Amino acid sequence: MITSIAHATIYVLNQDDALDFYKNKLGFEVGDDMKVEGGFRWLTVHPKSKPQLQLVLAEPKEGPMFSKDAADKIRSLIAEGAFGAGVFETENCHKTYDELIANGVEFIQPPTEQLYGIEALAVDNSGNWFSLVQR
Amino acid sequence: MVTNNKYKRLDACRDFIVDNYHETLSLSVIAKHSCMSPYHFLRVFKDTYGETPNEYLIRLRVEQAKKMLITEQCSVSEVCEKVGYTSLGSFSSLFVKQVGLTPTSYRRKLWALSAEAYCFPSQAIPACYAYHFLGKLVK
Repeated sequence: MITSIAHATIYVLNQDDALDFYKNKLGFEVGDDMKVEGGFRWLTVHPKSKPQLQLVLAEPKEGPMFSKDAADKIRSLIAEGAFGAGVFETENCHKTYDELIANGVEFIQPPTEQLYGIEALAVDNSGNWFSLVQR
Repeated sequence: MVTNNKYKRLDACRDFIVDNYHETLSLSVIAKHSCMSPYHFLRVFKDTYGETPNEYLIRLRVEQAKKMLITEQCSVSEVCEKVGYTSLGSFSSLFVKQVGLTPTSYRRKLWALSAEAYCFPSQAIPACYAYHFLGKLVK
């Protein structure tokens, strides 16, 4: 039986910039920031109350899985906002929205009543969209 | 439910621990930043984050120690001091409890696995990522 999800990937354009966004604007905590052989940087963040779920901030680069062409295409798709980063939960969408706006987070949609709760829609500094949901 | 204001104060305490993990930190010193009594702070912190402030501090220190042991050349005693422990024995015991190896064995094992000096080996990250980004399939 699978009990939980431990890591999920968010492709970003630049790890330093993404770290600044997720740490200083969203208020996440750094899980790992390690230099791995082969010049790879293993960088993860997580909401302060959920260290069990690590979000891996990775740059699509030419390598074993991506050709240069594929990596370039993925980078341009991220910048265009073609990927969604997922759903972040909050206990109070309006309050968190105000806090994140004050931190400089860009929102595409303010808190809005949906069938599943109150949801705002934001974008990270790479171009990934994410929802902020109060259930 | 923790109120937004209380959550902010807890968050500030957590940030205080992150910024000062290398100092001697007692529960009362940390709790001061929450404007709560130490006992109340301890209970609310655990309810919110799933671990006590001390468990969080230990986890943070061990994670920092792991990084220093691999990426820096300093001795285990220096690492112990840099992450806020005054007793090498206490540090080693906590490290073994969290990691399953002594600090020296951990360093020796990971350095032997890594092809590059002062870098973590690909085995230190989940295999799907190691394969995806480094082309290494760990057997």
